[in-house]
Amino acid sequence: MAKWGMVIDLEKCTGCQACSTACQMENNRLPGENYQDVLYYTEGKQPTPTLKWFPRPCMHCEEPSCLHVCPTKATFKTADGVVLIDWNKCIGCKFCMIACPYGVRFYTDEKPLIEPNIKDVFKGSGDLSWNPPYKGPQQDNAHGVGIQPNGVVSKCTFCYHKISKAPAGTANLTNEDEATREFTPACVRTCAPTARYFGDLDNPNSEVSRMISSKKGTRLLEHTGNKPQVYYVTGSGAGGGAAVPMGRNGINKV
Amino acid sequence: MTTQVEAKGPVGMAMMAGVAGLVISLGIVFSNLMSSGHASFNTGSNGVTWGLPVVNYVFFVLTSTGLTFVASLAMVFGFKEFYPIAKRCVWLAVVTLIAGFASLALEIGHPFRMLWAIPLSFQYLSPLNWMGVFYLAYLVLLLLKFQKVNANDWDSSGSRTLGIASFVAVVIAHGTLGGVFGAMIMRPMWYGPLVPIYFLLTAAVSGAAFAVLITYLTYGSAGNMPEKVRNLMAGSMSKVFAAVLAVVILAVVSRTVIGLWTNADGMQVWDHVVASPWYWIEIVLMVAAFLMLVNGSSPMLPALMVIVSLFIGRYEFIISGQLVPLFKGSWVPGLIQYTPSLTEWMTTLVAFSIALAGWAVGEKMLNLAAAPEGKNS
Ligand code: SF4
Ligand code: SF4
Repeated sequence: MAKWGMVIDLEKCTGCQACSTACQMENNRLPGENYQDVLYYTEGKQPTPTLKWFPRPCMHCEEPSCLHVCPTKATFKTADGVVLIDWNKCIGCKFCMIACPYGVRFYTDEKPLIEPNIKDVFKGSGDLSWNPPYKGPQQDNAHGVGIQPNGVVSKCTFCYHKISKAPAGTANLTNEDEATREFTPACVRTCAPTARYFGDLDNPNSEVSRMISSKKGTRLLEHTGNKPQVYYVTGSGAGGGAAVPMGRNGINKV
Repeated sequence: MTTQVEAKGPVGMAMMAGVAGLVISLGIVFSNLMSSGHASFNTGSNGVTWGLPVVNYVFFVLTSTGLTFVASLAMVFGFKEFYPIAKRCVWLAVVTLIAGFASLALEIGHPFRMLWAIPLSFQYLSPLNWMGVFYLAYLVLLLLKFQKVNANDWDSSGSRTLGIASFVAVVIAHGTLGGVFGAMIMRPMWYGPLVPIYFLLTAAVSGAAFAVLITYLTYGSAGNMPEKVRNLMAGSMSKVFAAVLAVVILAVVSRTVIGLWTNADGMQVWDHVVASPWYWIEIVLMVAAFLMLVNGSSPMLPALMVIVSLFIGRYEFIISGQLVPLFKGSWVPGLIQYTPSLTEWMTTLVAFSIALAGWAVGEKMLNLAAAPEGKNS
């Protein structure tokens, strides 16, 4: 069984946010509730501030603190290493949002980011929080895929509706290869400079494994022990561009 | 037999205020929740996750914890002079616990699903799971204990065992609540193995303050109190209250100093905490209350001051712990902004009203002044 993981090459990331947009379309996300975000920030003060950015999906941690705190086991980890939420079990206590060090979880019952409230324009029926005119083909509440119901928490699924259909033994999921294109997460498919790589971390010959070892892949906030399955390569942050944000002590948050 | 002491304080008024408060607050909360759901709260995925309703919850369940401590002084540890307020404290522990639960239920996305999803799944790794288990056990034990005491059974082995069991249950329960915050290494303002102890201390002082204030409310004034109650209030109760308060002041100050001193990422929120006038109100109220207590003045006003101060403290703890943004949003703010909405404030009123009305009902119907034969005036 694969252990899915991602590598993001910060040297290649241009901050275009195509990944975020593709994810919004694929997963019917509301404004401000992007599973995949590119965070913009400035570092340094006048006269030499630099504009930086940092792409950030759910890390699908090996030791997910979100899972450990979830009192209902609504948050679970699949055998192929993906952290998902069972919307039928989630009680909306939001402890997982507190406990995720990477801020990647979303509760949908909150004030809209923009007016008019899109949820009011396309009103949902039953439990579903809204009813967008375009919907992905999937609605799988038990895996937290599709339109988010009210009162529960959602997050990036690594496009579980796609990757779970990949043939067993697949090492790389990439847009380049016609055989795997359909199974590749939307953000990875759409990344124009191919800054995103996706594949089996347990397979030493996969592209992701090779990049992590040859380019010294780093993981965010190692002190939390969450052990992300999303790795960042290069991007020392010197001179601006895509970089891991610095903490208060001036050290990158790895 | 025990004697029913005529309560001369404003119990009837408190009951009316509590019921009125409950009607108004529940009306507003429910109508807003029906029309806009939790969007009527100012919490958000990109802002503060646990808002004012969680502050209320922690404030009230820890108050309940502290009230059980006070009741246990007589019923578990044998300090007999605390008997005249023991029954009232047990009852208050029940109603404040319910007040806390009510506020939490208004905050959770699916409170009814919770009732089956937590016990059926039983995630033993989650502090929240254990918090549910032990606070529920505590509630049941408290009710059983109250039933015994209400039947005038203070000293049978069954009654004593229930008293000890509820004390043990609440010590563990508040510890799991401490774990909910103290285990969060990704939020350094909360993190620390001693958070359960910090909660234990602040719970004790919260319980003492409520025990004092409600005793004064029951009788109206010290002059109306039976002699034993009056002596207790002016004597041991004031001393215990002052001693625990002193330790709490030290704990708050040491948290602040260490918070300001450390450079770890996330702790910068302490600069924000001490820049707020509310922090200084909290400190001044506590210190002034302590000075009043050691100078032998009536503990009623200090109790009120400490309750206000503790509420500020709970708010500060729970909200400030979330103000340093993690990796969220498209433009990273320095600190997250949060002010509770009207609906959230109404959940506070819900909780206070339940506590107030619940106490007054007990005072009118359950003879809360009762104490074991020969141990009361
Ligand atoms: S990044 Fe957060 S939500 Fe995703 S698995 Fe890790 S702890 Fe859970
Ligand atoms: S909000 Fe849902 S997924 Fe998150 S901890 Fe609570 S029950 Fe689990």
